[in-house]
Amino acid sequence: MGGGDGPLNAPRWLGWAWAIPAAFLAAFLVYPVIVLGARVGLGDGWSGLTAASTWQVAGLAAVQALASTILALVVGIPMANVVSRYRYRGRALAQAMVTVPFVLPTVVVALAFRSLLGSGVPQGFALVVVAHAYVNLAVVARIVGAQWAQHDDRYENVARTLGATRWQAFVTVTLPGLRGAIASSAAVVFVFSFTSLGIVLLLGDSTTRTLESQILRQTSVLLDFPGAAATAVIQLVLVTGVLLAGAMAGRRSPRRTMRPVALRPVPAGLSGIVVRVAVATTVIIVIAPVAALLLDSLRAGGAWSTAWWSAMGSVDAGTTRIGSPLGALGMSLGYALVTAVIASIVGGLAAVAVLSRGRARVVALLAIAPLGVSAATLGLGTLLAFGRGPIDLRGTGLLVPIAHALVAVPLVVAVVAPALRATDSRRLAVAASLGARPTRAFVTAYGSVLRVVMLASAALAGAVSLGEFGAASFLARAGNPTVPVQIVRLLSRPGEESYGVAAALAVVLVALTLALVLLVDRFGMSALQRSARTA
Amino acid sequence: MAVSRIRRTTGLVLIIGSLVLTAACSSGGGTDAGTTGSPTAAEAGTVTLLAHDSFVVSEALTEEFTAATGLTLEVVTAGDAGTMVAGAILAAGSPTADVMFGVDNTLASRALDAGVFEAYKATDAARLRPELAGDTADGRLTPIDFGDVCINIDDRYFADADVAAPTTLDDLTRPEFKDLLVVEDPGTSSPGLAFLLATIARYGDDWTDYWQRLRDNGVSVAGSWTDAYTGQFSAGGSGGTRPLVVSYATSPPAEIVYASDPKPTRPSTSVMTDGCYRQVEYAGVLAGASNPDGARAVVDWLLSEPVQADLPLSMFVFPARADVPLPDVFTRFAATVPAPLQLDAQQVAEGLPDWLAEWGAVMGR
Repeated sequence: MGGGDGPLNAPRWLGWAWAIPAAFLAAFLVYPVIVLGARVGLGDGWSGLTAASTWQVAGLAAVQALASTILALVVGIPMANVVSRYRYRGRALAQAMVTVPFVLPTVVVALAFRSLLGSGVPQGFALVVVAHAYVNLAVVARIVGAQWAQHDDRYENVARTLGATRWQAFVTVTLPGLRGAIASSAAVVFVFSFTSLGIVLLLGDSTTRTLESQILRQTSVLLDFPGAAATAVIQLVLVTGVLLAGAMAGRRSPRRTMRPVALRPVPAGLSGIVVRVAVATTVIIVIAPVAALLLDSLRAGGAWSTAWWSAMGSVDAGTTRIGSPLGALGMSLGYALVTAVIASIVGGLAAVAVLSRGRARVVALLAIAPLGVSAATLGLGTLLAFGRGPIDLRGTGLLVPIAHALVAVPLVVAVVAPALRATDSRRLAVAASLGARPTRAFVTAYGSVLRVVMLASAALAGAVSLGEFGAASFLARAGNPTVPVQIVRLLSRPGEESYGVAAALAVVLVALTLALVLLVDRFGMSALQRSARTA
Repeated sequence: MAVSRIRRTTGLVLIIGSLVLTAACSSGGGTDAGTTGSPTAAEAGTVTLLAHDSFVVSEALTEEFTAATGLTLEVVTAGDAGTMVAGAILAAGSPTADVMFGVDNTLASRALDAGVFEAYKATDAARLRPELAGDTADGRLTPIDFGDVCINIDDRYFADADVAAPTTLDDLTRPEFKDLLVVEDPGTSSPGLAFLLATIARYGDDWTDYWQRLRDNGVSVAGSWTDAYTGQFSAGGSGGTRPLVVSYATSPPAEIVYASDPKPTRPSTSVMTDGCYRQVEYAGVLAGASNPDGARAVVDWLLSEPVQADLPLSMFVFPARADVPLPDVFTRFAATVPAPLQLDAQQVAEGLPDWLAEWGAVMGR
């Protein structure tokens, strides 16, 4: 939709699609930040805006985030190819497994890496970059995969017919076609790595500090609120800049006809072997740290044992600290589902607003802004805005999924917007010219694409919620911990039992994620196959 | 056709969504009566306790509280102690709870300066240990528990190596202990900060020299207690290689309590009692609390004998009351520190930003 014009004959409601995301963001992002800002002010924190040390940290974090992004793309794009385009036994499982690293609480990722690599591996830049790439593989594989699955091979076939080699066809035809999705996922991975906290604290050193870790120190250790505010402003500005650049790079991607998803058989010969090796590598990369955790959960007192698995039901029973594991699973699943619903509605409508004109598009860009707002800032702001009278939402149990949705909405936009943009809007015009009413025409043009990407992004949103620790420990009530909160609490005390049960719970979290993502994927695929048959 | 399918899908999503919302709300209200209550119950008689995320007591005690006062005790957590205090300072005068537990002696002065607390003298204040009896910030804080941050030692390592374990802070810089110590970053970890304060209390202006010597001797700096103890400490359970770690004087009894069955008769770790930093945790009524009477009842409850007796095995801290018996595993294996180090709270509040910056410069972090 070049030149800022919306599709002709767009249904009228499309012009108002921005209203719901705008209201959500105003209430749960802008308002808390304003409440906090009014309370803190910048005061002499303005000097923090120009402090050389802050900008030095920003520079270091940018280098680290760039390295993390490149590694995540190099590993994630081949993964996107093999888990979302070919038909083979276990494909759905492989695709779901790619999502696993994304949901592991960072403290678990850090421990798994230690458990896997041995404690001799020095902390610092390399370890942080590898860990960031690992947790963000899902972002690349899911966002790029969602678009690649609908990519029409005929363009490559034409190029090949005209004499291009396979590689030339890939570089000159396939990659540009995926450009929107790649730019979009790269921007998200960069921002996640740039604003990373847990991994940086656990596996990093002086070369891997981030502005977010600076903000946390200023807030929670130094209680220097104006200083923290200045750092948070810098972070917001830098991140917004990166996301804008990513969105703009995505918008210039060529528009092509998308085909409905149909998995192709694994080709024969050499390329078939390559695909199989890539699948195996994907599974090994993803599963290795999880396998290390599984082994840890089965070792007690130097021997094989299921003690930790049976202790899961009784550990800390009768205290205010840890509700039953079943309760925690229920809590986590409930939050994940509410998050998926909120994030899909808000993010999906924001992405649809991209198709529309002017101010609506601004909302779509604003919807990715939560990625830049410091988590510590937002957490405190939310507490001040909704944690006390007159609007106390803590009792409703909604604050946690709302906070999770704020993180997930940008992901939904990042998945949905490039796919919608890449869809040929002429289909809308064709449908309209055949006499379809605007809404019907819109559904004809965008319905199948929307369904695929919405499901993919709902799964991501649910995954965000399942693995999130900060908001769940900060905004929830003590008696209702989520699984990651239980894990972190167990890991913050001595004893073999604490570590063993935490490892077992982490394995449960992984299994839970796999089940959830498989379910969503299966629902999505069967819907697609139905629509492909009836089309 | 496509339209009807879309409608059906949308309908399904809406139904699932509303079911989930209902479930989330009702599971919040129905599961365990001790810690939850609906907003209407808040007006009917709930008191909200704000605590850091390490807070835990036996559930029977919260039920006793309700039985005795008629009030439902709702516990809300707000991250670690520092984050909790930051939130409380920002909400000073219009708090997010009625009473706060877990502000410690490194953070207390900042919270007091911000007017977070209201004076209240607990019913059992006379039963506090003598050294804590005066430690109430003009009656605005009540000491509830204390603990010491100390170097923990993997006894098996030193027995196997046939080397005597270190006994003083100075020992840690000697060549026979090269590459054996892991500490936590004071900018991100509460025991890490306590250990830094211990070295400042001990060495005064020369503390940076001490850290330079520690660095030359191969000290490892971890981002968190979990990474230091569980990840890098050789007795921490996941293959760490360093036999000396900054942890608590009560970590050895915790090693017994949280061991696999059959429980060992004695822990494999011990405590170096030199160079320990004393942490005291307080409770206080929040100024502007909507239920100040309930808040006072909670402070009394925290200092009551049953809760004080419960603290050692639930939070691995020592009770602030002098007249509460300690569990056996505590009297046998928790270290009693003869001369813990401490800094004046005001001095900590003023010096901290510079100290952290200097520490970062020395350690290259």
